[in-house]
Amino acid sequence: MSNEFFFTRLQYESGDWDVDQRMPSNLLNSLVEYTTLKVDTQEKIITLASDDIFKSPFCYISGHKLVEFTKKEQENFEKYVRNGGFVFADDCNHDIDGLFAKSFERQMEEIFGPSELKKIPNDHEIYTIFFDFEDGPPTTSQELNGWGDDLVHDYLKAIVINGRIGVLYSNKDYGCEWDYDFRNKRWYKIDNTRFGVNIVMYALTS
Amino acid sequence: MAIYTKEEARKILEKALSFSKADTCEINLSGYNSGNIRYARNTVSTSGYSSNQSLAVQSSFGKKSGTATIDEFDDASLEKVVRRAEELAQLSPENPEFMEPLGPQMYDEAITYSESTANVTPEYRAEVASSSIVPAAAKDVTAAGFLNDSAGFNAMINSKGLFAYNQSTDVDFTVTMRTNDGTGSGWVKRDFNDVDKFDADEAAKTAIDKAVLSREAKAIEPGKYTVILEPAASADLLRNMFRSLNARSADEGRSFMSAPDGKNKIGEKIVDERVNIYSDPLNPEVPTATWNGEGQAIKKTSWIENGVVKNLAYDRFWAKEKGVEPVPFPSNAIMTGGDASLEELIKSTKKGILVTRLWYIRSVDPQTLLYTGLTRDGTFYIENGEIKYPVKNFRFNESPIIMLNNLETLGQQVRINGNLIPYMKVRDFTFTSLSDAV
Repeated sequence: MSNEFFFTRLQYESGDWDVDQRMPSNLLNSLVEYTTLKVDTQEKIITLASDDIFKSPFCYISGHKLVEFTKKEQENFEKYVRNGGFVFADDCNHDIDGLFAKSFERQMEEIFGPSELKKIPNDHEIYTIFFDFEDGPPTTSQELNGWGDDLVHDYLKAIVINGRIGVLYSNKDYGCEWDYDFRNKRWYKIDNTRFGVNIVMYALTS
Repeated sequence: MAIYTKEEARKILEKALSFSKADTCEINLSGYNSGNIRYARNTVSTSGYSSNQSLAVQSSFGKKSGTATIDEFDDASLEKVVRRAEELAQLSPENPEFMEPLGPQMYDEAITYSESTANVTPEYRAEVASSSIVPAAAKDVTAAGFLNDSAGFNAMINSKGLFAYNQSTDVDFTVTMRTNDGTGSGWVKRDFNDVDKFDADEAAKTAIDKAVLSREAKAIEPGKYTVILEPAASADLLRNMFRSLNARSADEGRSFMSAPDGKNKIGEKIVDERVNIYSDPLNPEVPTATWNGEGQAIKKTSWIENGVVKNLAYDRFWAKEKGVEPVPFPSNAIMTGGDASLEELIKSTKKGILVTRLWYIRSVDPQTLLYTGLTRDGTFYIENGEIKYPVKNFRFNESPIIMLNNLETLGQQVRINGNLIPYMKVRDFTFTSLSDAV
C-alpha cells in the first residue's frame, strides 16, 4: 500500500452521495500547496458497505437526500469510526431542517446513541491545527443564499471517540463552497479551502 | 448647421490657430445632430432633436496649460476664446506630465459614417416605436424603449502642423418589455453606425418573446451553473477587464494587470487559450475613428492572444517614462467567436442557465476583478438542450478572468455597445443568492 494520503468519498445507497464533484481535487490541491503531505491526486469512491473503507485515512460523506444506511453500511461506519477512522460529513442543503441533516443526525443517534453528536467549541484544536480560524468554522457563501434555512451555522458538531473527533459534521456546505476548478484558485484573493486543510491535518495527526 | 465638412472645419480651425501666441496650441472642433424618441406604457412620451457644436482651445506656455471653449465661430469670437485659453494657461500651475502636441500624422480613412443614419427622420423614429408598441399590445405586453440616432464630426488642429478630421454616425436602441401580469420581463439593446443594419421588428420580437417566456419564474437553488451568456450579459463584465488594459495602472500596482515587483502581466497567460481580444477601428461591424484625442493614429492592436496578455496601453507620458513606444488605448473591443448560434449552444447544453443580461454591477475586489450584480429580463433554465422554464433572477459573484478560464464554447459574435462579443458558454458561473425582482 502506498504511503500517500488519499481522499475517500463514501457511496451510500439511500441518497445522492455524488455531489460537488470538483471539491476533492480542490482540497487535494490545497494540501499540495500548503503542506508537505504526499498526496494521491485522484479521489477514491468507495462504497460504505465495502471493507475497503478500513484502508482510508479520511472519508467524506455528503448529499441532499435521505441518509438511511443498510445494515452492512451501518456496521462498517461504526467499526471504522470506533477504530480511529475519521469521517467528514457535510450537509449539501446547509439546512438543519433539511432531509440530509435530519436523517444523518438520526442515523448517528442510531449508531452512537442519543446526544453523542455534539457541538464542538469554537476554540477546538481543529480551528488552529494548521491555519488559524479564531471565530470557529469559517462562514460559507452558501449559507445565506436564500436556500436552506438561511442561517449562518456558527458551529460544527462532532462525535468524539476517546477524546478525538471521529465524525465531523457540518451544516455549512463546505462541499459546495469548494466545488470549483482548483486552477482558478490563483485568481481568488483569499483561498476559501484553507479550513479543509485543517480538517485533513486534524484527521491525520490527532 | 452643426456638421462641418473637412474643409469647412479646417478653415475655422486654421483661423482660430492664427490667433495663437502660446508656445503650443491644440484646437478641437466638434458638432452633432441627434434625434430621439422615447416611449413607455405603450405610448410615445417624448421625441426630440438636438444640434450642437463646440470649439475647444488648449494653449500651453511651457508646461502650463489652459483650456477654453466657445460655440461661436466668427473671427472675433475665435480670437476671444484663444486669448482666454492663454490667460488661463498663464495662471495655471505646471503640469509635470505635460506632453507637447504631436506633429502631422498619417491616418487611415475611417468608415464610421453612414448617410442613411444621418438622414433618419422623425417618421422613421415613430415607426420604430410603433414596431415595439403594436406587437407588444397584441401580446398583453407593455413596451418602454428609447431610440437615439446621431451624426457628428470631430476635427483637430495644432501648432505642430497636425490636422485630423472624422465624421461618424450612431444609432442606439433599447427596449424593455413587461408582461401585464407583472411576472415577465424581456429586453434588447441594439447599436449600429449604419441604421440600415437595424431591424426594429426583430429586436421587438426578441424582447416580447423573452418577456412572455419569463412569466412566473421558478426559484432554483443558487450555486455554480453552466451558463450561456448573451453578449449583452458578458459585455458588462468584460468591459471592466478591458479597463485594466492600461500599463500605467498595472505598473503602479493598481490593477488586475499588476504583477509583483512593479511588473505587469504582459506575456502572461491569464485566460483560456481560445480567447483572442483585439481592437480595430476599421472593422466594418464596429468601426471607430482612426485617431484619438491625443492625435495618435489608431491601428488594429492585439490585447489578448491565445489567452496571453499581448499589449497594454501606454499613453505618451507613460511610454516616455518607460522608454517604450506609446500604445493608444483601444477604441473598441473585438473578441473572436466561434460558429455556434445561440440555438446550437442551447441544444448542446445538458443543464444550464441562459442569461439575457446583467445589471447593477458593482466591484467587490478590484485586484481580482471580482464583481457582483444581478441577472435581469430573461433568465431561463436549460435541460437536455431545451429551455425548460424561466427562473428567478440571481445575484452573481464572478470575475471576468475566472469566467474566461471556465470557457466551454464560443458562439457567434454580436455587436454590443460598439464592441463585438461572442455568445459564450461558461462552466461554474457563480450565482450566490436569489432575487425577487422581476
